Amino acid sequence: MPYKIGVYVCHCGTNIAGMVNVEEVADFARGIPGVTLSRTYKFMCSDPGQALLQEDIRKNGLDAVVVAACSPLMHERTFRRAAQEAGLNPFLVQIANIREQCSWVTEGKGAATEKAKALVAAAVRRAREHQPLEMRRVEITPSALVVGGGIAGIQAALDLADAGVQVVLVEREPSIGGHMAMFDKTFPTLDCAACILTPKMVAAGSHPNIKLMTWSEVEEVSGFVGNFKVKIRRKAGYVDHDKCTGCGLCIEKCPYKADSEFEQGLAKRKAIYLPFAQAVPNKPIIDKNACAYLKNGKCRVCVKFCEAAAIDFTQQDRVEEVTVGTIVLATGFQAMDGRRIPELGYGRLPGVYSALEFERLNNAAGPTNGVIQTRDGRAPRSVAILHCTGSRDENHHRYCSRVCCMYALKYAHLLREKLPEARVYNFYIDMRCFGKGYEEFYKRLQEEGVRFVRGKGAQVWGGAEWKAMVPAAAVPEGLEDHQLVVVAEDSLLQQVLHVPVDMVVLTPAFEPRFDAEEVGRRFLVSRGADGFFLEQHPKLAPVSTTNEGVFIAGACQGPKDIPDTVAQGSAAASKALSLITRKEIEIEATTAHVQDELCSGCRTCIGLCPYNAITFDEARKRAAVNDALCKGCGTCVAACPSSAILARHFGDRQIFSEIEGLLSL
Amino acid sequence: MSFEPKIVGFLCNWCTYTGADLAGTSRMKYAPNVRVVRVMCSGRVDPTFVLKAFREGADGVLLGGCHPGDCHYQSGNMKTLRRIPLLKRLLKDMGIEEGRLRLEWISASEGERYQRVINEFVEQVRALGPLNLEVRKALPKKSQATA
Amino acid sequence: MPAATPFLEVADALKEYGAHDLDLCYQCSTCTGSCPWSFVEPLNIRRLIRLAQLGLPGYEGEDLWKCTTCASCQVRCPRGVAIVDLVRSTRAMIGETGLIPQSLRSALGSVKGEGNPWNGKREERNAWTESAGIPRFDPKKHEYLLSACCMPSYDKRSRRIADALWKVLQAGGVRAGVLGPEESCCGEAVRKIGDEGTFTSLGKSNAAAFEKAGVRKVIALSPHCYHTFKNEYAAFGVKVEVHHASEIMQRLIFEGKLKPHKKLDRTVTWHDPCYLGRHNDIFDAPRAVLSALPGVTFREMFRHKKQSLCCGGGGGRMWMETKRGERFSDLRLPEAMAVGASVLATGCPYCVNMFEDSRLGLEREDAIQVRDLAELVAETL
Ligand SMILES: Cc1cc2nc3c(=O)[nH]c(=O)nc-3n(C[C@H](O)[C@H](O)[C@H](O)COP(=O)(O)OP(=O)(O)OC[C@H]3O[C@@H](n4cnc5c(N)ncnc54)[C@H](O)[C@@H]3O)c2cc1C
Ligand code: SF4
Ligand code: SF4
Ligand code: SF4
Ligand code: SF4
Ligand code: FES
Repeated sequence: MPYKIGVYVCHCGTNIAGMVNVEEVADFARGIPGVTLSRTYKFMCSDPGQALLQEDIRKNGLDAVVVAACSPLMHERTFRRAAQEAGLNPFLVQIANIREQCSWVTEGKGAATEKAKALVAAAVRRAREHQPLEMRRVEITPSALVVGGGIAGIQAALDLADAGVQVVLVEREPSIGGHMAMFDKTFPTLDCAACILTPKMVAAGSHPNIKLMTWSEVEEVSGFVGNFKVKIRRKAGYVDHDKCTGCGLCIEKCPYKADSEFEQGLAKRKAIYLPFAQAVPNKPIIDKNACAYLKNGKCRVCVKFCEAAAIDFTQQDRVEEVTVGTIVLATGFQAMDGRRIPELGYGRLPGVYSALEFERLNNAAGPTNGVIQTRDGRAPRSVAILHCTGSRDENHHRYCSRVCCMYALKYAHLLREKLPEARVYNFYIDMRCFGKGYEEFYKRLQEEGVRFVRGKGAQVWGGAEWKAMVPAAAVPEGLEDHQLVVVAEDSLLQQVLHVPVDMVVLTPAFEPRFDAEEVGRRFLVSRGADGFFLEQHPKLAPVSTTNEGVFIAGACQGPKDIPDTVAQGSAAASKALSLITRKEIEIEATTAHVQDELCSGCRTCIGLCPYNAITFDEARKRAAVNDALCKGCGTCVAACPSSAILARHFGDRQIFSEIEGLLSL
Repeated sequence: MSFEPKIVGFLCNWCTYTGADLAGTSRMKYAPNVRVVRVMCSGRVDPTFVLKAFREGADGVLLGGCHPGDCHYQSGNMKTLRRIPLLKRLLKDMGIEEGRLRLEWISASEGERYQRVINEFVEQVRALGPLNLEVRKALPKKSQATA
Repeated sequence: MPAATPFLEVADALKEYGAHDLDLCYQCSTCTGSCPWSFVEPLNIRRLIRLAQLGLPGYEGEDLWKCTTCASCQVRCPRGVAIVDLVRSTRAMIGETGLIPQSLRSALGSVKGEGNPWNGKREERNAWTESAGIPRFDPKKHEYLLSACCMPSYDKRSRRIADALWKVLQAGGVRAGVLGPEESCCGEAVRKIGDEGTFTSLGKSNAAAFEKAGVRKVIALSPHCYHTFKNEYAAFGVKVEVHHASEIMQRLIFEGKLKPHKKLDRTVTWHDPCYLGRHNDIFDAPRAVLSALPGVTFREMFRHKKQSLCCGGGGGRMWMETKRGERFSDLRLPEAMAVGASVLATGCPYCVNMFEDSRLGLEREDAIQVRDLAELVAETL
């Protein structure tokens, strides 16, 4: 049992010393049995601070060290490393959190100092019970899983693969590409989305180091950093992609149709289909809800025409298991359903479009070959683009979706370009043009003659409805029944406007994916109040998560545009890479251990372990913990009726001593 | 002077302890009565920890874990949840009011909630008054555990 | 416009009167564009809020009295500002200086003197209940207090609603009674006009009357009384269960206690009263009742549920003159007719009153009928 303990009380500038009387705490510590030395220092975590501690360890042969400073979550590692360098086992260091949980939260110097003393007393008593432990090392499987094949996931997968890492890229849709694949042009440079995305998609599809699994979903994740075991469901697509040559004859011949998801329901696709022409992989799958053969056993036209004999109606879902060292989550976002704001008429008035519908309408490869027209085939002479649909709104999403102001400008430009006669209005609350070249783009649009109205579009009505609803004087001259009326106050003018238009485009908020909660749980990644995945630190660890080895990138972390998404994709890849190149990883030594002689063979613990780390030796009727699997949660320890399981570093004795210390004054 | 209760908090490392740190970084002030033992998971909290705390002079005990479904070890918090009724019954048999024990799910981003829970619980225990000395003495002595 | 200097003390004072959310407004204009006045002669509520934020003259201007407290703006405000409270607080603050419009003063005087805003005598409050044979509430005999609003006591058209409701309740076997002349106006409009003092004394006197009579459950004929009892009387210590008539009728039909059987053969649309719908989220009960009436073809108007058009009678507007052509109720009848309705049904005596008034202005007065839900139900019995 250690008996020569050094106590270090940190001032942390004035962060601690401003509220806690550090000298008083150090004096108090000096009186606790076992403490041979007690000091205060301005910044313990600084190099000289650590050096002070190391010198004491070396010179005075300390058996354990207590640092009363900031939270152990901040600097426990720092002090453990310092101790180790000076020859003291790192587990003989104990931190007393007198900043985050004392000086910063307590009113009154007296109370704060008392609390700090109690925390130090507890740490010292606990440290007296510490045992040296050895960190264990395990090899890292040098491969990565990327979940989600949008631009974020593609970028991450390519960066990793180029560095020689084996990558499994899992995408739930039949093709990678994500939202970006739907766009024709991207702001502010107006580059053609397909021109910059397609090469990346193809590269990801053909890279020797990337194993692409589309039409697949991750079902289960076990293990931990360095060695995650992942079960992937490969959904049946009824086409054997090893045989399929991608000739497309089957698609041409298939007699059955369904609404195209990719085209936002603005066009049909066949029952055997590619979501879009440049899909990667460029091989079709069969939609079992639309295929006549799969529904009622008649048809098989595709089988007849497929020379490669690739159609396989017997295909079943199968589950593949892979082991990877690290994971990048890049599952993106979804756009809010405009129907949730009935006053804007989406879903009821055919002239009201969602932004994604407009993207397809404008896309040269889209349902109208890029001709912007209303559902009844007219070229709109006037269009209103409404910003902030469901964003910055307590009734829907409190956050700004960041991208919509900019794509609303993009739309205004595309409209002016394609339909020079058309009147274009942007109704906005604030213009948020924060990125490189964005404000310049805004000015360009003003030069192009777009009307910017400062005031949120409050309601949209059909022309016919409007005529039945308002006094004749309020009907704009020449309003036609099929047109729309946007009501908004121009706050600069302080006047209500009734604006007749042919088309309204909404900018629905970015939302977390409908299954973000479930996915978060599966990968043990938490979510913020907004529902998006939570980064470990908003500034300093933007792509890391609290689950070591799992990184996040792109719009699954929060609304963002393509430049930011790609940057995060690369950032996540480099974090994953730096993990993998370590080859080995230290894992917690603080595992559970069954003391054979005390185990009564009751099996209580067996079913409790979430990692199946406990095995039962039938012959000897004893339980045993597999060190490599145990993550040290301590659940089995608390449950064992014979107190036979020992939690290393969190043992009963250590915790009891801590309790005694806490309550000793 | 009004009675200042002593409370021991057992907080899991991943959610509630981190949430408590966040309350700190956000400089939220709360009552100083709660002193914290960090455990890796709320599932580690052995009923004997709670009894030990009462025996050593605590007037209240707070258990803090991740929200259901968010436990870093998948389901440790559910084990804790299941232990609570048992524990409350045990306490009742020993003459300790149920109100002295509280289980709360507080996530890493809920600094404000941590502050509120602490202040509420301190008031709750303050209202109950100090734990009866006789009761305290009668608690099992199992302090020097086998480990 | 001359330069102005912010006078933030005014904003602070407004907050003390209850305009707690004042500073949350980020001037998006949704409110002004959502206000029913935006269809006719716009009321710029956003500008009033802006002026109030900076304490600049104009926040107390005439526009303030146009607001019907319909909450069309409030339910859409992206910042969740309780705009109706802002209006009420501003009126309350300037009301203390006596700046209440002339036309509202006589209604207020009547409430203060006689406990109703209709210049009727307190003694006559129960004349109609006596002639209809409605018993005084007795906690031993009655489950519910029927609170029928002041209007039926002094207005013939409203009395027909109350009679119909009584008929329906009896047919459904509901045990209910009324209070005597000690009952006063619920005070809803009074409060929205800005007279907090009178509202408080009305609330206290009704609370005492409820307490004395031993009332536990209330059926309110008017959504305004319903809203006030339910959401604002807690301040006076009132803890009663409150139901709107439409909810009771829905339940009676659902439980099979009320069996509408005579065919109506009419196309009916429903006007959601602001204080039933937007303020209290009761949208489905009246629609369920209508769908249970034989021979009713139901049509929805364009502006329905949360988007319903205010009748124009709330917030004290009942007692103020609105020009023809600017009355919301004048817009509502043509809208009902445009969707093919021959009956405009609703569930509030103010709305019925406003619509009946507008009906007289139609080219053919019989082009559409205005009915309270209870009247339609009674017709089927
Ligand atoms: C209308 C509109 C216009 C835009 N225009 C522009 C623009 O002009 N310029 C610009 O810079 N930005 C623009 N953006 C923003 C741009 O769309 C995003 O920045 C970008 O798509 C984010 O990429 P991502 O990979 O993170 O997500 P996504 O594009 O959403 O991709 C995520 C991928 O993950 C897959 N996935 C999801 N869940 C799972 C799962 N559980 N398992 C497996 N796979 C899963 C999805 O199927 C999808 O393929 C626009 C956004 C919108 C809504
Ligand atoms: S980016 Fe613009 S349109 Fe989108 S939510 Fe933010 S402010 Fe509104
Ligand atoms: S401490 Fe016990 S329950 Fe927890 S992971 Fe280890 S063996 Fe499993
Ligand atoms: S809707 Fe709300 S935030 Fe917008 S201007 Fe009106 S009060 Fe302000
Ligand atoms: S409450 Fe109704 S009348 Fe008053 S400002 Fe809001 S929308 Fe207009
Ligand atoms: S880790 Fe927080 S309760 Fe399990």
